[in-house]
Amino acid sequence: MSASAAEVRALRSQIRTWRRGRVDTSLMEALSDAYVVVFSALVLGAMAVNVIINVHVIAGGGCSSVSCLDARDALGWLFGLAAITVVLAAARLLGPMLVTPAVGTWLLTSPLDRTALVRWRLLGTSVVAALVGAALAATGAALSAYPVDVIGWLTLLAGTVCVLLVALATVDQARGGQVVRLLAWSLGVVLWVGLVLVARDSVPALLRVPAIAPLRVAVVITAVVGVLLLVLAYRSLHLIRRERLVSGGNLLPGISGALASLDLTLFYDILVARHWRARSSVRVVRGRGSGAGALVWREVVRLRRTPQVLVGLAAALVLPYLATALGLGHVMVVVVTLTGFAAGVGLFTSLRVLSRTASLLRCFPLPAATVRMACLGVPCLVLVLWSVATTPAVHDAVGGSWGSSAAVALACGAASATAAVRWMTSHPPDYRLPLITSPMGAVPTSLYVSVLRGFDVLLLGTVPLLISPTVTGAMWTAGLMAAVLAFLVGRP
Amino acid sequence: MNKPAKPAKPSKTPPLLRVRGLTKKYGDIEVLSGVDLTVTSGKALALRGRNGAGKSTLLRCITGVDAATAGTVELDGEPVDERSVAVRRDLAIVLDDMDFFPDLSVIEHLDLFARAHGVPDAEALVDAVLEEVRLTAQGAQLPGTLSSGQKRRLALASAFVRPRRLLVLDEPEARLDQAGLEWLTGRLLQEKADGLGILLASHDPDLVKAVADRVLDLDELSA
Repeated sequence: MSASAAEVRALRSQIRTWRRGRVDTSLMEALSDAYVVVFSALVLGAMAVNVIINVHVIAGGGCSSVSCLDARDALGWLFGLAAITVVLAAARLLGPMLVTPAVGTWLLTSPLDRTALVRWRLLGTSVVAALVGAALAATGAALSAYPVDVIGWLTLLAGTVCVLLVALATVDQARGGQVVRLLAWSLGVVLWVGLVLVARDSVPALLRVPAIAPLRVAVVITAVVGVLLLVLAYRSLHLIRRERLVSGGNLLPGISGALASLDLTLFYDILVARHWRARSSVRVVRGRGSGAGALVWREVVRLRRTPQVLVGLAAALVLPYLATALGLGHVMVVVVTLTGFAAGVGLFTSLRVLSRTASLLRCFPLPAATVRMACLGVPCLVLVLWSVATTPAVHDAVGGSWGSSAAVALACGAASATAAVRWMTSHPPDYRLPLITSPMGAVPTSLYVSVLRGFDVLLLGTVPLLISPTVTGAMWTAGLMAAVLAFLVGRP
Repeated sequence: MNKPAKPAKPSKTPPLLRVRGLTKKYGDIEVLSGVDLTVTSGKALALRGRNGAGKSTLLRCITGVDAATAGTVELDGEPVDERSVAVRRDLAIVLDDMDFFPDLSVIEHLDLFARAHGVPDAEALVDAVLEEVRLTAQGAQLPGTLSSGQKRRLALASAFVRPRRLLVLDEPEARLDQAGLEWLTGRLLQEKADGLGILLASHDPDLVKAVADRVLDLDELSA
C-alpha cells in the first residue's frame, strides 16, 4: 500500500523536529537579518519604481515621430513576450518541478506519494513565476508609456500566462514531452520577428497599445486555461521521473552558490557543464595542424559544434537596428558593444576553461599567452565580423561618412571582444583577501568588483566613441582595447 | 559457500527479475547491446567487466534510473518503472550517486528511510543495522563529517533498514575496509538465505566468488 499524503506530512514534521534543535541563529539575529532584507528591498524597489516612472514620463513626452511612437507601442508587447519567454526558459531549465539531491536519494526511492512530496512546490513555483512575469511585463509596459489601466491588465495577463506556462511545463515534465521546448523556441522566434518588424518600421496593428476589453477577455481565458492546466499538472505529479526531479535540484545549489558569491562566470560554467552532460556524446572530429595552430583549429570545430551561438549572434543583429528605429543617437555604440558582448561571450568557452583550470593550461607545451591568443583568435574574428554587419545601423545613428561608421562599428566589435575576454578570464572572488563587513556577513574586497569585470572594459571602450563617434574615437577605442587585451593575454 | 562462478542449471522457479534485449545508446555510441538476464529469489547474479563495460549503466537502466534505448525489464512479470510505488518498495538500490541531507545525522537518515518505507519498529531496526555496519559511534554525526568509507557503509545500511525483495548494488565493496568487506559478504549470504534476489556489479573476485551463483561478464557479451 502506498504511503499516503498524511505520512509525508508526518515525515516532514519529524524532519522539522530534528532541525528545530539545531538553529544557530538567535531571534534577534534573525530579526536583524529580516530588517536588512526588507529595508534593502524597499529602497531598491522605490529606486526602480522611481526610475520607471521617470522614464514613463520621458517616453510619453520625448517620443513624437510616428516611427518612434510605433516602436514604443510595440515594445510594451515585446517586453511582455520576452518576460514570459524568460519565465518559460527558466522553468524548463530547472524542471519546473525539482527536489534536492538528498530528497531524491532518500525519499523519492521510497514508496511515498510523490504528489504529496512536490505539490507545494507546484504552487510555489506558479506564484513565483506569476510575480516575476508580471513584474517584468509591468516594467516593459510602463517604459512604453502605456496608460495606467492598460499596464494593470497587461501585468495581470502576463501573470496568468506565466502560471499557465508553469503548469504546462509541469505536465510536459511528467509526460517526458518536447512541447515546452518547442514552445520556448517558438516564442523566441515570434519575439525576434516582432523586433525585426519594429526595426523595419512596419509595426503591425496587433502590436499597438491594446484596448482594455480584449485584454480583459484574454486575462479571463488564460486564467481559466491556467487553472485547468494546474489541475492537470497536479494530477501528473506522480508521473514525473526521479531523474527529472533531481536534475533541477542538482543545478539549483550550484546556481545559488554562484549567485550568492556574485560569481557570474561560475554560473555560466554550471550551465555549460549541464548542457554538455545532457548532450553526452559528439561526433569525433580529428585535429589539424600542430602547436598553437591545433588550438585555433579546435576553435573552428567548436564553432561548428555549437552553431546556436552563431545563430544567437545573427539574431541579435536586430537590436542595433531596433535602436535606430527608436532614435537612440550616439547611445547606439553602447547598444552595439553590449549586444556583441552578451551574444558573443559564449564563443570564448575554451578560454574560460583554460583560465579556470591552470593544470590544463600547463598541459600545453606553449607559453600561456600563446595558448590564450590561439583560443581567442577565432572568437574575436567572429565578433569583429559581426560588428561590421552593424555598420548601416551605426551609420544611421551617428551620421558622418560610411568609412567613419565602419570604423566605429569595428571599434565596437573590438570592445565587445575584449570585454568578453576580460569576463571569461576573471578569477573568482578571493576569500584569502582581507574581509570587509557587509549586511551579508564578511566578504572579500574583490567580491563586488568581480561582478563588474567585463562591464568595466565595455565602459572603457565606449567612452571615446560616445565622446566622438568618428575615426578618431574609434582609434582611441582600438588602442585602449589592444592594451587591455595585451595585459589580459600576457599575464601569468 | 565458495562456489565457482559458472552458469547455473536452468531453474524452474519463475524469475524475480527478467531483462530482455536491453540496449543503451548515448548518441551513436552503443554501450549495451541486447543484454538478457534473470535473477531469481534466493540467488545472486554478479556483473563483471572492465571499466566502462557498462555495468553501472546496466544497473541504472534495470532500476529505471536511466531510460534504456530498447529492451524490457520486468520485476515479477511487471515492467519496472521507478515511478511505481510497488517497484520502489521491492527494489533496494545502492548505486554510486548517493547524496545526503547535510543537516540530518546518520541515525536520522536511516530512521527517515525506514519510516518512509513504513517499517513498524524503525528505531530498533536502525539501531541493529547501525551496530552491524559499525556506525553506532557516528550515529549523531552529520554526513559531511564522515569518511568516504563511512558514507559508503551508510549508503549500504540504507538498503537494510527497509523492506526489499531484490537488492541491486553497484560495486558495494568500493571504499570498504577488510572488516567491512567481510561483513558485506556475510550479509549478502544472509540476504540470499532469506530468499532475496541480488544483482551486483563488482570488481572484487572474492566477493563475487563467495556470493554469486552466476556471473555475467559484460566484456564477453560485447566481444
